[in-house]
Amino acid sequence: MKKTMKAFALGLVIVSLALVPACRSKKTVEPQTHPDTIASATVPDVPPPPLTSTTTTVAKPDDFVQEKPVQEETLPNDIEELNRVAQQRGLIADAFFNYEESTLSAEAQNALQTSASWLKKNPQYNLLIEGHCDERGTEQYNLALGDRRANTAKEYLATLGVDSARIRTVSYGEERPFDPGHDESAWAKNRRAHLVLVGK
Amino acid sequence: MKNFFSLLLAITALPLLAQTQVTSTIGQQQAAQVVRIGIPFPDLAPGLDPQTINNAFFSPLTRDLATSGVFAIAPLPPGVAPTPELAKRVGALYLLRLQVITEGEDNVVRARLIDTTGTEALAKGYRGQVATLTKIAHMLANDLVALVAGNKSGIFLSQIAFASDRSGSWEIWLMDWDGGNQRQITRHNALSILPSWSPDNQRMVYTSFVRGTSDMYIINRVGGGRMRLYTGLGLNTSATFSPTGGDIAFVGSVNGNPDIYVIKDDGSNLRRLTTSSSIESTPEWSPNGRQISFTSGRSGSPQIYVMDAEGTNVRRISFEGEWNDDATWSPGGDEIAYTSRVSGRFQIRVANIVTGQSRIIAGEGSNEQPAWSPDGKWIAFQSNRTGRWQVSRMRADGHDIQQLTTAGENKDPDWSKKAE
Repeated sequence: MKKTMKAFALGLVIVSLALVPACRSKKTVEPQTHPDTIASATVPDVPPPPLTSTTTTVAKPDDFVQEKPVQEETLPNDIEELNRVAQQRGLIADAFFNYEESTLSAEAQNALQTSASWLKKNPQYNLLIEGHCDERGTEQYNLALGDRRANTAKEYLATLGVDSARIRTVSYGEERPFDPGHDESAWAKNRRAHLVLVGK
Repeated sequence: MKNFFSLLLAITALPLLAQTQVTSTIGQQQAAQVVRIGIPFPDLAPGLDPQTINNAFFSPLTRDLATSGVFAIAPLPPGVAPTPELAKRVGALYLLRLQVITEGEDNVVRARLIDTTGTEALAKGYRGQVATLTKIAHMLANDLVALVAGNKSGIFLSQIAFASDRSGSWEIWLMDWDGGNQRQITRHNALSILPSWSPDNQRMVYTSFVRGTSDMYIINRVGGGRMRLYTGLGLNTSATFSPTGGDIAFVGSVNGNPDIYVIKDDGSNLRRLTTSSSIESTPEWSPNGRQISFTSGRSGSPQIYVMDAEGTNVRRISFEGEWNDDATWSPGGDEIAYTSRVSGRFQIRVANIVTGQSRIIAGEGSNEQPAWSPDGKWIAFQSNRTGRWQVSRMRADGHDIQQLTTAGENKDPDWSKKAE
């Protein structure tokens, strides 16, 4: 059907192009054939195909990725359980930072975009953002650095449309590491803006 | 002082001495003449347990005197009467004769310092409940040092505030200068850190997360009153009293921009001292209150800066190390100790504020958060050299490192601001 449509369109263009010089040279030209005449001549005396057949063709699996049907899933009432589930399902996701930095990497922005979508759909929750640092700094400066990380995440969520009045921040600096280890893999986990859902 | 005998009845509260000007002179104790002293074990009234008296009184007293830099303790032969002749025999200038008796609920300690001619240089009595025996030991040590060295401000009664997690949450604790008498001050059951003394030692300010945000609290030494200092800002960390006691410098944050602020201790008159878009942290007043040191990331890494107390005349003073923080002024105001990262490891650095010359003074592990003793001769700090954070103490030249805490993890030391 699609191919037929394309061929018909192409034909029209060719015919039009062929007619252009004629149109320019002769200001008044009678069409050589009347469209109605053609139609009556070519269309057989049968009813047109039903419109439903077009719909079927467009929905071919080849053309569009088939998404699983959306299912409503209930979220836990317990706020701690809710946070665990929300992080596990990727409804909200923490933003991770490079050493000594508080700017958002592409990955961190992606995480916050995901979180912003969910937060906008779920206005019944507020958000606490905890700023965290790895142990390779000093306690006092890291408290300030954690504050900046948490607020950088807050600002970005606000630009994505999350009402900033719903967001509170706190910095734990290096006081509450997620991974107690002393290597790069532990440190990388500990440099984050940690998103925590809280009730209103 | 000769032939002078007085019986001072000390119960618990002690009169406050006027603040004494103390100058920090590294190595002075080595240069000073050391006085040899013999100290026989005290005569005890019937019923007193020698082991208890040793732990609570005799041992702290002799430790204080041995580390004073003023006295050297001469070993004594056992079972010999403490006479001037004994002092001569062991090459001591003095003998300290001690007696501990009980009077009702109290212990009374009588101390007599006699020289080799038998003349009394000091005769003094101290009375207190059994629990104050260690305090009496530190008082006596202060008096002896004052007598011999002419220094009125021995530091043996000074206190070190710190944060400890041994109770299950980080809380504010106190200990004597030698690590004795460790006791819990706050019971927030929440992260409580960074204690800082008021100049009269009667209050402390610290940061607690008990409300879910970080806030500053002021507590009183007597009466236990606690006040939350409302600032309307984020962070509220690194709080520190001005030398006059009326102001508190701290780190406040608006929209993720930490800066140095000052607020009065009643919560009024909030002032912003730095306006840079970079991270500012960790303010500390100079001893005369005219300057404030702080940490700033404005150059791309955390470095130490000094400004006038109004926020003007900012200049950088740390140029070595890729991460510097925790600056704190010596009591004499001529040196600043700070945490400095050298080859990936934090060390205590002491820099002369005028010449800019600095030296590294701590050893193994990471060593952070220096705090000067009130006489400028010692520095408390936290170290993870044992694998866990513990508070230690060393001489200001880096010698005689002694770990003061062992239970749980311990950090954020701040030494009381003046001797008592």
